Amino acid sequence: MRKPKRKNAFSWKQAAGVTMMLVFLVFALLPIIWAFILALRPENRLFEPIWESPTALTLSNIPKLADSGFPKALFNSFVTASVSTALAVVIGVPGGFALAKGRSSRKFLASWALLLLRMAPPVGFVIPLFILYLKIGFLDTWWGLIGAYMVLTLPLVVWSSWTSLSQIPDELIEAALLDGATMGQTLRRVVIPAARPGLVATSVLAFLLSWNDFFFALIITRSDTVTAPVAIMNFVSYASVDWGSIAIASIVLTLPTVPVIVFANKYIVQSMGGAVKG
Amino acid sequence: MKFTIRARLATAAMATILTTVPAYAEDLNVILFGMPYTYGLAELEDDFEAATGLTANIEVVGQDVFENRITLSFTGKTGDIDVVHTPVIQVQRWVEAGWLHPVTDGVNGMDTKDDILAGPLDAYLVKGDYWALPFFAETGMMSYRKDVLANAGYDHAPTTWAELLEVAKAVNSDDVAAFAMRAAPGQGFNMFVFPMIMRAYGGKFFADYPNDLTPAINSPETLEALNLYIDLINNYGPPGAGNFNFSEVAAAMQAGKIAMFVDGTSIVAQSLDPEKSQVLEHMAIAAVPEGPAGRSPAIAVHGLGIPADAPDPEVSFKFIEWATSEETLAKIALAQPFPDFTRASVAANPEVIAKYESINPDFLNLRVEMLNDAIGHYRPLLPQWPQIGAAVGEHINAAVNGLESPEEALAAAEAEMAELLAE
Amino acid sequence: MAQVSGVQPVLQRSYRLMLMPAVIAVLVFAVLPLMGMFWLSFTGFDLVKGWDTGLTLENFTRLADDRRFIGSVWVMLALSGFGVVAQVTAGTLIAVGLEKIIPRWRHVRGIFVVPFVVPHVAVALIWLSLFTPTLSPINAFFDLFGITVPAFLTTRWGAISAIVIADTWASFPFVMLLILAALQGISTDLDEAASIDGASKMQVFWRITLPLLKPALLMVALFRFIETIKHFPLIYVMTNGGPGRATQATNYYAFIQTFQNSKVSYGAAIAVFLFIFAAIISFWVARMNSRLSDA
Repeated sequence: MRKPKRKNAFSWKQAAGVTMMLVFLVFALLPIIWAFILALRPENRLFEPIWESPTALTLSNIPKLADSGFPKALFNSFVTASVSTALAVVIGVPGGFALAKGRSSRKFLASWALLLLRMAPPVGFVIPLFILYLKIGFLDTWWGLIGAYMVLTLPLVVWSSWTSLSQIPDELIEAALLDGATMGQTLRRVVIPAARPGLVATSVLAFLLSWNDFFFALIITRSDTVTAPVAIMNFVSYASVDWGSIAIASIVLTLPTVPVIVFANKYIVQSMGGAVKG
Repeated sequence: MKFTIRARLATAAMATILTTVPAYAEDLNVILFGMPYTYGLAELEDDFEAATGLTANIEVVGQDVFENRITLSFTGKTGDIDVVHTPVIQVQRWVEAGWLHPVTDGVNGMDTKDDILAGPLDAYLVKGDYWALPFFAETGMMSYRKDVLANAGYDHAPTTWAELLEVAKAVNSDDVAAFAMRAAPGQGFNMFVFPMIMRAYGGKFFADYPNDLTPAINSPETLEALNLYIDLINNYGPPGAGNFNFSEVAAAMQAGKIAMFVDGTSIVAQSLDPEKSQVLEHMAIAAVPEGPAGRSPAIAVHGLGIPADAPDPEVSFKFIEWATSEETLAKIALAQPFPDFTRASVAANPEVIAKYESINPDFLNLRVEMLNDAIGHYRPLLPQWPQIGAAVGEHINAAVNGLESPEEALAAAEAEMAELLAE
Repeated sequence: MAQVSGVQPVLQRSYRLMLMPAVIAVLVFAVLPLMGMFWLSFTGFDLVKGWDTGLTLENFTRLADDRRFIGSVWVMLALSGFGVVAQVTAGTLIAVGLEKIIPRWRHVRGIFVVPFVVPHVAVALIWLSLFTPTLSPINAFFDLFGITVPAFLTTRWGAISAIVIADTWASFPFVMLLILAALQGISTDLDEAASIDGASKMQVFWRITLPLLKPALLMVALFRFIETIKHFPLIYVMTNGGPGRATQATNYYAFIQTFQNSKVSYGAAIAVFLFIFAAIISFWVARMNSRLSDA
C-alpha cells in the first residue's frame, strides 16, 4: 500500500507519461512539418536535410498553385462538401430522431443497414453509379457529386443523431406536443437545441468525409467539378512528381479545416460520448 | 426572422448550383496527361485559334487520373472528348475495344508525313490503319557523374552491362551509391527499364513476336539479365532502391546520391536541369550499355488520337495536325524541357539545336542514335500487354526484393503470361 | 419509459414520415448502385470485350481458384489487423494521456486532430518520401549519429508496417476523439475513490478505466477495421502493391481487376465478397451496440 502522491512531487512515472505524450506529439507533427519544408524548398534542395541549408527557402510554389486549376478545385470541394453535409443534416436528423423515438421492431435492422452502407467498398459501386449518372446526365455536375457524398454522409448523420437524440427525455417531447406544437416545431424548438453539440460535431465529421474523398470524385467528375484531392494527383505527371506543389496544396487543403476542428473540438468530445454509449 | 434569412441564403445557394451548367463553349475538348509537351501545348490554345479559327479547351491532368477516367469515358461513349492522349502502349487495347477513330486518311493526306519519324508513326499502325499521330518519342539513355567515375580511374562511361557492374564495384560508396534504376512494380515502372537489360542478354517475352506468341520469358538469357539487375540494385544501389520509381531515381540523381543510372530521356533530362540538379556540372550522358545480344534502348511513344464517339473527327484531326506540326513541336521544344519531339525538321531547327547543345552538346545526337537502336516492340504491342506487363513486373520486383528467387519469379511470370493470353 | 398512450399512434405516423426522405435518399444513391454492383458481379462485363448480360456464377467460381485473390485476403487481414491494433492503442494512449497526464495542455488536443484532415493522397505521398531512405529527413537525421535506418518498403513486413504506420498517423485522431468522449462519460468519482483506497494511477487505469472503456474500444476498433478494409490510396501511392504482391490487399486487387485489367464484373464480384465480409462484421457491430445499450 502506497500513500497518495503529493501534487508537485517529481515522479518518474509522471515523467515517463509526459515523455510518451511528447513522442506522440512528434509523431503527429513530423509529417506536417515535413510537408511545410517540402512546400517551401526550392526544387534543387528539396530533399537536402534542412539543417544543411536552413535558409534555402522559396515561396514560388504559392503563385504556381494559384495559377493552376487548384483554386477552382478547392471551390468545388467546398461547395460539394458543404451542400452534401447540409442536405444530409436536413434529411438525416429527422430520420435519426424517428429512429431514436419511434417504436419499431426493425430498429436493429435499420442500424445494421446504416452501417452496411457506410462500409460497402466504393470500388464495387462506383461503376454502377457512373452508369446511372451517365443515363441521367449527372456526370461532372455538382449535384452528381453531392448525391455520391450523401452515401458517405447520410448514414453517419442518421447514425449519430439517432444515438445522441435518444438521450433526450421522452417527457420533454411529449410536453411540447401536448402544448399543441406540431412535430416539426417540436424538432426545431426542443430537440435540435438540446442536441446541438452532437449535431455540430456530426456535421463537421460528415463535412470532412466528403472533403477527403478521392475515389468518387476521380470517377464521376471531369474538368468542371474536379475536387481538390483529385487535383492534387494532377501534380503527379509522366516521369515527374511535383513534390513542392503537392505539399503546398495539401497544406492549403488542410488549413481551412483546422479552425473548424478547434471550434468543434468541444462539441465533438461532448457528442461522442453519446455516440459510443449508444 | 433569423430562420427566414437562413432560408433565403439556402435558396440563393441552391439557385446558384442549379444554374451552373457545364459550359462547353469551345469547339474542341482535348484531354492529355501531364508531361512537358502537354503543359507546353496547353499554353498555345490561342495559337490554335489563330491558325484554324477554332477554339480548343486543353485539359491536362495527372497520369493516374487520366488512365482511370478515360476508359470509363470511352466505355460510356460520353462523346465529350474530341482529342485524346494516346500512348502507344495502350493503342492496341483501345483499338481492340473499338474506342478510337482511325486517322489513316488524314495521315496519308499530309504533305509532311515523311517528316514524321517513321518508327514512332508506325507504332500506331494497327490492323492496317493509323490510330494516332506521335508527338513524343522517348528512348533510353545513361546519365552519370564524371567526377565519381574519374576518381575511380574511369574516364568514360561503361559501354556494356558487364562493364557497368565493374565500374559499380569500383565507385560504390556510402555517400554516393553506384547505380539506380526503377524497380517499383508496374508496366510503366520496372517494366519500362528492365527489358533494356533483358534484351541486351538475348531474353525475350515471346518465342517469336508477333508470329508465335508462346511466352518465353523463362529463359537462361533472361535469368542472367535478371540476376544482373538484382545485383546492381541490391548491392550497388542506394538504400531502399528495391521500391524506387522514376521520381525517387530522379530525386536521388539530382541530389548527387548516385553515380550512374539508366532510364528514359525524360528522366535523364531532369538530371541536366539547372533548376533541379545540384550536381549539374558533373553530369554527363552516354549510350545505354550493350550486352551479348547487342543494345536495346527503351522506347515510349505518345500521340494524339480521336475517340470513336467524337462528334466531328475531321475537326479533331485538324487539331492533331496542328499540335504535331513542325511549328508547334519546335515552339514547345524551345519553351519546355522537351527533347523528345517526333519530326526530323525540328531536330534540324537551329534554335532547337542551340538550346539543347547548351545543356549538353551530345544530347540530341545521342537521342537519335538510341532511337535508331530501339525496336518498336521493345514492350510487345499487344492488347493484353498492360495486364501482362503489370503481372511480369510484380514478379520481377518480387525477385529484386527477395520474395521469390529469380528462377521462381521467371517461371511464375511465364505461367501467368500464358494464363492471361489464353483468356 | 413513460409513454402517453393518446399521442402515441399520431406520433408513430409522424415518425414514419420523418424517416421517409432519408430512406429515399439512401435508396437512390446507395441501394441502387449497390444492386447494380450485385448485378454486374453475375454478368460478364469487360471494358474492352463488351458486355455479356447473361447471368452466370463464373466470376464467383473463379474467385475460389484465384491465388492472387486469396493472397490479397491475407494481406487485407494483416493490414487491417495490425492497423486497428496500432490505431486503437495509439489513439487510446493519447486520449488517456491528454485527460490524465497533461490535462492542462488544452491546445495540444487541436494539434492531435490535424492528421485526420489531411487528404489520404497527400498522406500517402508524404509518408512515401519519409520511408524512402534517400529522400527522408528521418534517415538523414539518424545518419548524423551513424545510425542506419532500414528501408521499409522493400520487404514484405516492412512495407506492411509502413502502410500501417501511415494509416495510424491518419486515423488515430478518430480513435482519440471517440475515446476522449467515452472518458468524459466515466465518472471521476471512481478514480478518486480508488486512489483514496491507495491504488496507484496505473492500477486505476488497468482495473477501473480500461474495463469501463471496453464497449467504446470495441466499437471504435470495429469501425476502424471496416474502414481499413477499404484501403486504397496508401497502397496505390506508397508501394504499388509491392514488393512483389506483398501489399495487394483485396480492395486494391478489385481496383486492379476493374480498371487495369478491364474486368469490371470480376472486380464487382470481389467487391461483393468485401461487402458480405463487411456485412458480417457490421452485423456484429450493430448487435453488440444494441446489446451494450440495453445493458
